[in-house]
Amino acid sequence: MLQGIISILSILTLAPMFAGLVNKLKAIFTGRIGAPILQPYFDLYRLLRKETINAGSSSFVSAISPVINLVAVVIAAAMLPIGLAHPVISFDGDIILFAYVLGLARFFQILAAMDIGSSFEGMGAAREAAFAIFAEPIFFFTLGSIAFMSGLTSIYDIYHSIRLDNVTYIIFIVVCSTSAFILAITECSRMPVDDPNTHLELTMIHEVMILDNSGVDLFLYQYSSYIKLFIYAILETSFFYPFGVKSYTVGIVIFVVVIAILSVTLAVVETVTARFKMKNIPQYLLFATAIGILNLLIYTFTK
Amino acid sequence: MELFFYAIVIQFLSVIVIGFLQDNRKASIVTHSLLAVGLLLGFIASFTPLVYSNFPTQNFYFFGIPNNLFRFDTLALYFLCIIQLVAIPLTLYSYPYFKHYIEKGKKVRSTLVFYTLMLVSTQLLVTSNHSILFLIFWEVMSLSAYLGMIFEKEKEEVQNGSFYYFVMSHIVVYLLFIFFFLLHHQTKSWLFSDFHLSPETGSLFIIAYALSLTAFGMKAGFMPFHFWLPRAHPIAPTVFSAFLSGIIIKTGIYGILRTFQFLNPTPEWLGWLMLAVSMISAIFGVWYALAQHDIKKLLAYHSVENIGIIGIGIGIGFIGSAYHSLPIQVLGFGGALLHTLNHAIFKSLLFMGSGVIYQNLGTRNIELMGGLVHRSKYFVMLFLIGSIAISGIPPLNGFISEFVIYNGFFITARVLKNYYPLIMLLSAVGLAFVGGLAVACFTKINSIMFLGSERKEVKHFNVSFYEYLSLGMLALLCIVIGFYPQPFIGIVNKVLTDGFVPATSSSELLNINWSYISLIFGLILFTFVLVYLWKRTFQKKYGRRTADAWGCGYKNLTPRMQYTASSFADELNEISKSVLVYHKNSKPSKKIFPPKEYFESHSEDLVDNKLVLRGYWKFNSVISKIEFLSYTDLRYYIAFILIILTLYSVIAFLWN
Repeated sequence: MLQGIISILSILTLAPMFAGLVNKLKAIFTGRIGAPILQPYFDLYRLLRKETINAGSSSFVSAISPVINLVAVVIAAAMLPIGLAHPVISFDGDIILFAYVLGLARFFQILAAMDIGSSFEGMGAAREAAFAIFAEPIFFFTLGSIAFMSGLTSIYDIYHSIRLDNVTYIIFIVVCSTSAFILAITECSRMPVDDPNTHLELTMIHEVMILDNSGVDLFLYQYSSYIKLFIYAILETSFFYPFGVKSYTVGIVIFVVVIAILSVTLAVVETVTARFKMKNIPQYLLFATAIGILNLLIYTFTK
Repeated sequence: MELFFYAIVIQFLSVIVIGFLQDNRKASIVTHSLLAVGLLLGFIASFTPLVYSNFPTQNFYFFGIPNNLFRFDTLALYFLCIIQLVAIPLTLYSYPYFKHYIEKGKKVRSTLVFYTLMLVSTQLLVTSNHSILFLIFWEVMSLSAYLGMIFEKEKEEVQNGSFYYFVMSHIVVYLLFIFFFLLHHQTKSWLFSDFHLSPETGSLFIIAYALSLTAFGMKAGFMPFHFWLPRAHPIAPTVFSAFLSGIIIKTGIYGILRTFQFLNPTPEWLGWLMLAVSMISAIFGVWYALAQHDIKKLLAYHSVENIGIIGIGIGIGFIGSAYHSLPIQVLGFGGALLHTLNHAIFKSLLFMGSGVIYQNLGTRNIELMGGLVHRSKYFVMLFLIGSIAISGIPPLNGFISEFVIYNGFFITARVLKNYYPLIMLLSAVGLAFVGGLAVACFTKINSIMFLGSERKEVKHFNVSFYEYLSLGMLALLCIVIGFYPQPFIGIVNKVLTDGFVPATSSSELLNINWSYISLIFGLILFTFVLVYLWKRTFQKKYGRRTADAWGCGYKNLTPRMQYTASSFADELNEISKSVLVYHKNSKPSKKIFPPKEYFESHSEDLVDNKLVLRGYWKFNSVISKIEFLSYTDLRYYIAFILIILTLYSVIAFLWN
């Protein structure tokens, strides 16, 4: 339990830093100096002290949505193992709750976007809804496939059932982490699905949904999106623990190393790719699903 | 159990009372109060044995005389409870609903009679033990629903839609006749308690299943037979469409579960068939729903989806039965039963909500709504609770039953090994996909109907006390089952041990860590309140104001510039264009100063369009070949009858 509390607290504190790290690396790759790694913290602190401005036609949905977003994301984060630590929330079937709690966040995010009554937010909301439908199967094809093969249904147990002494499992991990990476890009609205730094409202997904928010509301949205990015990073890193060593220090070292590699990869991907056309994104996601199906094939052939 | 029959008598009394009361208003008051009292009594009568006695009385003693016509086993009691649970708020709701029409000067007495008959016959249907009695109540239920449906019979769409329902329910009855005769022929009994057929009977077993699944599946609205739902639900008065979607389609599920009790263990392929059909119903039901603009039609397609989810549970149960595996059956059938309860609750909530909107705005087209949240915040909250529940999102009840079904997938994969994990994984992905589509669909209707600003000016929007009360009751149930599912799980488990799973220790359902899940849901609520208060203090400190939305510097934003439902769903409809029969017609102009442009999009049902209507026209053209036999004079027909009778007797004579 103590380990769990420590891990959730570290997720809550480190999440903005991860985003800052990715941005810094991205700036370096594109030949700029870039903002300091701690910039997200400064941004959050600045937002906290700003006045909240709501759109004229907004309702109670706009008021509760940022809070629900943060709560849902924090609950989801509490289910994830960091290092070899046992998460706070862990029970048989929590993999389902994990996916559906993030669904709760999405539901209210979309509603809050539509609450503004502007077409910009509408476009973002429609895209979010459409792409989320294709993202959901990817999650089940990656983490779910291990769950179904091992017969375990708790995220902690699922990750701990992975053993790298088996060649098929290694192939499996490569495939899974690839599709989990694509999932992370989609769910966290990074390039090439969505450009977080664009300035044109028509081409955004996540950013345009929170276009008319400010102050504490925007703080909550931003903070939960940082946590969400970190959640998917943890999902990704968790594939790489089981080298047979069951020590916490090793777990944490692996965690830090993989997170570092992941941030470099994300930065590289964001540097070298351009954003896809909106109508090509479903194809891209179906491609990720197809990778997930590869898991199944591996499984059937090694049976 | 005698209390139940007194309750039924009290409910039925209102039919007689209406006969004596000429005044519509008085008739409505008396009927509704009698119904409310009767239903409440009936609920006490059915709820107490279900909860408190270990194995409720199997047979019914009518004043000391044993009687086989009715049987109160747990399955019957469970469905009885669901019916009454929906009927009580529905009756509260129907009072202001009919009052609205009475004020307009419409005669509602006959419709009230049909409403009462429908409630009474449905309650008797699930408790009857005799097949003929079952068929009679089935027919009374279907016909009273039909007669209630044609309340606004002067409209053409009402005539069309109700005709679909009428024809469909007669095909169902016809198939059920054959089904029950077949069972009678095999078991030499008319009683449900005596019906049993084992798979050794070979083809008879399969034929019986085929008949039952077709008939009950048609009533429930599984995918190839779903076409009547989106036709019949929108045109019925809300009271009827809520009951139709909440309860009457569930009698199909009841029938399938009963059939399973008669005919088990099921062969494995039947489980696969059920799973496949249900999966298709779930996915395409919700996909069709996404393309609809008519709120009630959309909800009707969602019924198809949810019936699909229930069917997935039943399919898992069938597979478990084929392998004689208790845990699989418990989770499969348990999920199906629980989802039946949940769907009855939130679907009637949503239908009643749509009825409130329809009565206030006079339209069912969601593109003409918007901004209702500024009219009635609490109504929107209630509708939102129903929407979250139906999308299967925690912490409400929809999640609980879907969670059980997911666990069914996991347990099937774990117990049966082999290639099962693969197929169960695909099923889980399918269910997750359905969940995603449901989120898209319900965010669409909630945001277009309630949020933003009014697309068409709303003259008045009143929600009466009774409407709030009935919607509130159902919303409360959604919350209670979501946060504290243990007692409901216990009841479902009791139903399973009594009627489905042969062994006694069927605790796979209870083994799920429900208290832990309740705890997490409590935690979600607690953190929500905490963060919300924290946010409020910050807003107090640094201020909060409203301003216009960002419009790229453009100031005169009008309500018509808001995002529409069709554009919201367009991206997804484009993908499934061929299956959905999704049309877009537009006349874009290329002039510099464009004149008025025109765009419309609508979707049609593949089965309805390509199979049913086309088949009907084919049939019609064949039948019209013998039109030359049609005369206006009655005497010709009498002559025809005589000729046919003579022919029959000659054949019969020669045969001997």
